[in-house]
Amino acid sequence: MTVIKLNHITKIEGHASLNLSIKNGKVEVCELQAVEGSRYFEGLLKGRRYFEASEISSRICGICSCAHTVTAIQAIENALGVDVSEQTGLLRELVTIGERIRSHATHLYFLALPDYLGYESALSMAEKYKNELSRALKIIKMGNGIVKVVGGRDLHPVSLTVGGFLKVPSEEELKEIRKELELIKEGTILTGKLFGRLEYPEFVNKTEYFSLVKREEYATLNGDMVSGSKRYKQEEYSKYLKEYHEKYSTANFVVKEGRSYMVGALARVNNSYKSLSSDARKILKSFKIEFPNYNPFVNNFAQAVEIVHFVDRALDICDLLKVKEEPVKKVRLREGHGISAVEVPRGTLWHEYKLDSKGRITYANIITPTTQNLRNLQDDIRAYLPSVMKLSKEKMILEIEKLIRSYDPCFSCSTHFLKVNFV
Amino acid sequence: MGSILARMGLCLGMMRLRMTEDKLKVGFYNITGCAGCLLSVIFNEDDLLHVAKIIDIKAFPFIKEKKNDGELDVVFMEGLVASNDDVKVLKEVRKKTKVLVALGACACTGCIPAFRNFIQKENYERKVFLRKLELRDQKPVPIDKHVKVEYYIPGCPPDKNEILTFIKDIVLGKKPRGYDKPVCFECRLNKNTCFLDKKELCLGPITNGNCNSVCINGGLVCWGCRGATPDANFETMISLLKEKGIKAKDIKDRMKTFVGLKLPKEVIR
Repeated sequence: MTVIKLNHITKIEGHASLNLSIKNGKVEVCELQAVEGSRYFEGLLKGRRYFEASEISSRICGICSCAHTVTAIQAIENALGVDVSEQTGLLRELVTIGERIRSHATHLYFLALPDYLGYESALSMAEKYKNELSRALKIIKMGNGIVKVVGGRDLHPVSLTVGGFLKVPSEEELKEIRKELELIKEGTILTGKLFGRLEYPEFVNKTEYFSLVKREEYATLNGDMVSGSKRYKQEEYSKYLKEYHEKYSTANFVVKEGRSYMVGALARVNNSYKSLSSDARKILKSFKIEFPNYNPFVNNFAQAVEIVHFVDRALDICDLLKVKEEPVKKVRLREGHGISAVEVPRGTLWHEYKLDSKGRITYANIITPTTQNLRNLQDDIRAYLPSVMKLSKEKMILEIEKLIRSYDPCFSCSTHFLKVNFV
Repeated sequence: MGSILARMGLCLGMMRLRMTEDKLKVGFYNITGCAGCLLSVIFNEDDLLHVAKIIDIKAFPFIKEKKNDGELDVVFMEGLVASNDDVKVLKEVRKKTKVLVALGACACTGCIPAFRNFIQKENYERKVFLRKLELRDQKPVPIDKHVKVEYYIPGCPPDKNEILTFIKDIVLGKKPRGYDKPVCFECRLNKNTCFLDKKELCLGPITNGNCNSVCINGGLVCWGCRGATPDANFETMISLLKEKGIKAKDIKDRMKTFVGLKLPKEVIR
């Protein structure tokens, strides 16, 4: 019997361990444990004012703090019946794009690439792969630059609020961003090519690919959820998504209609590749990787393609925006219930709030992408094991870690709340 | 506190003198948190590769394989203690480093996750059977409740530049300097309109600056994430905000959000 206990898996956000036991070639135990301490964010939000939700929930995650900010704000706006201006919508999209670019670039170059090039870290690649690393840092800087200009700070943004923006970027700042986006474009295409050329393990394990879709758009802030040909309304999420808890983990697991599913770049590209920008589609087609694709390792390539797409989309937004000072929309307090789903770096993020008549939060529920992916990731590890079982233990562990990292899991996010039901 | 800082500065300085050829062995770790502080290290995009040259990054599990990293000179620790695992990691790291730096609000003050200390259990526990839960859950506290800490880099997130300056200082054997002016100091230099004049709940006057008043520049009031200034007058602050029509509960909730555990008990009661 082989027993493997991978404590504190490295190069992921947050803390996780994996317990495996294999007997006579059969996987008996495969438990992916989040070992991050629980932070109970939903409980912390209870009793706070409606406009505090975004500032507090942003702290669930550093790398996707804009995602939590925007999703919280939209859910609160849905609860209060607030409509925002087109400018606000575009600026929010822009800030999430900035975040997507920096998050994907960080994951691809710093967490995933060393596995494929045979290094223990990106820092030790610095000598031989200096160009790649400086490219990565330039792309990250671009993403951070967008978040900083639109959100006021590159981590945990400050300028976004219920009803609009506390401060809008100036025309000059957006012009500067536009200029830098043009400069970074080539680097993103090289990124697409680099990750298109990598040799991903041959592994296919089809699942359901769940993401927001919108007609003629690569959906980000709104739309319907889709899996295959089936569409789902955001507001009805509690009917099809079920959260449950496993004793061994501090993170929740989620199933859709009783089954595991995948969210994230691969799911989005699988569902909406036709709506990608023309340069992103070109990259997509120039490699022997077909879409829709059912190999979870290809999530890396899907992320690289998204970087290309989102630089193009950010350029479009810069052209569309004629920024002017706008007062934040007045809010009329009322009892309310609001839900919002937003596509964020690692998949679909859900926020749900109930407010009392004075604008205090009485209920909050947050489902992050990684909690939704955990079950599918565990299924994939199980399915992938037979093909790597014959390798040396060390190589086998590397292969499993590679698979885990390809999901770009964020255990900080997934253990924001512990809903325990021990008996 | 001052004398500890002086001793550490001296100690680091001597260390530098003794082994001029050797780089400082540095570790970047995190326990429960959002990874934002470690990202604030990595997001020094123009300087990261250079930093990696002037110090010897022995451990950085967020972006590096785990190795036997041995004795370390300086460790930057992000996150707060919220689980038994956190205590274990923290104590192991403390044992092998000469200097421990609390990086960011969670490590320094407990940040938002430690706000749990001030709310009722029913708010966050649903059908929890305590006996089993307590096996891994810990009272959420900043790291200096469990181990000795030599330096603090506050803020949520910590300022990228401040981290860089800190690293440069220790490499040169200089004693990193603390900061004791309120946020208002930089805020006025940045020519922002005062939120207090607009009757808004801004904690700038009692909060330690060196953040370039980044929130207020971006249109948001100060939530006090960097902790109180040494001479903060809490009573006056609270009565001033009350005069502006803000409810006592909202003022105290806000004051407790990032740094509650480090405020005098009578202030937040």
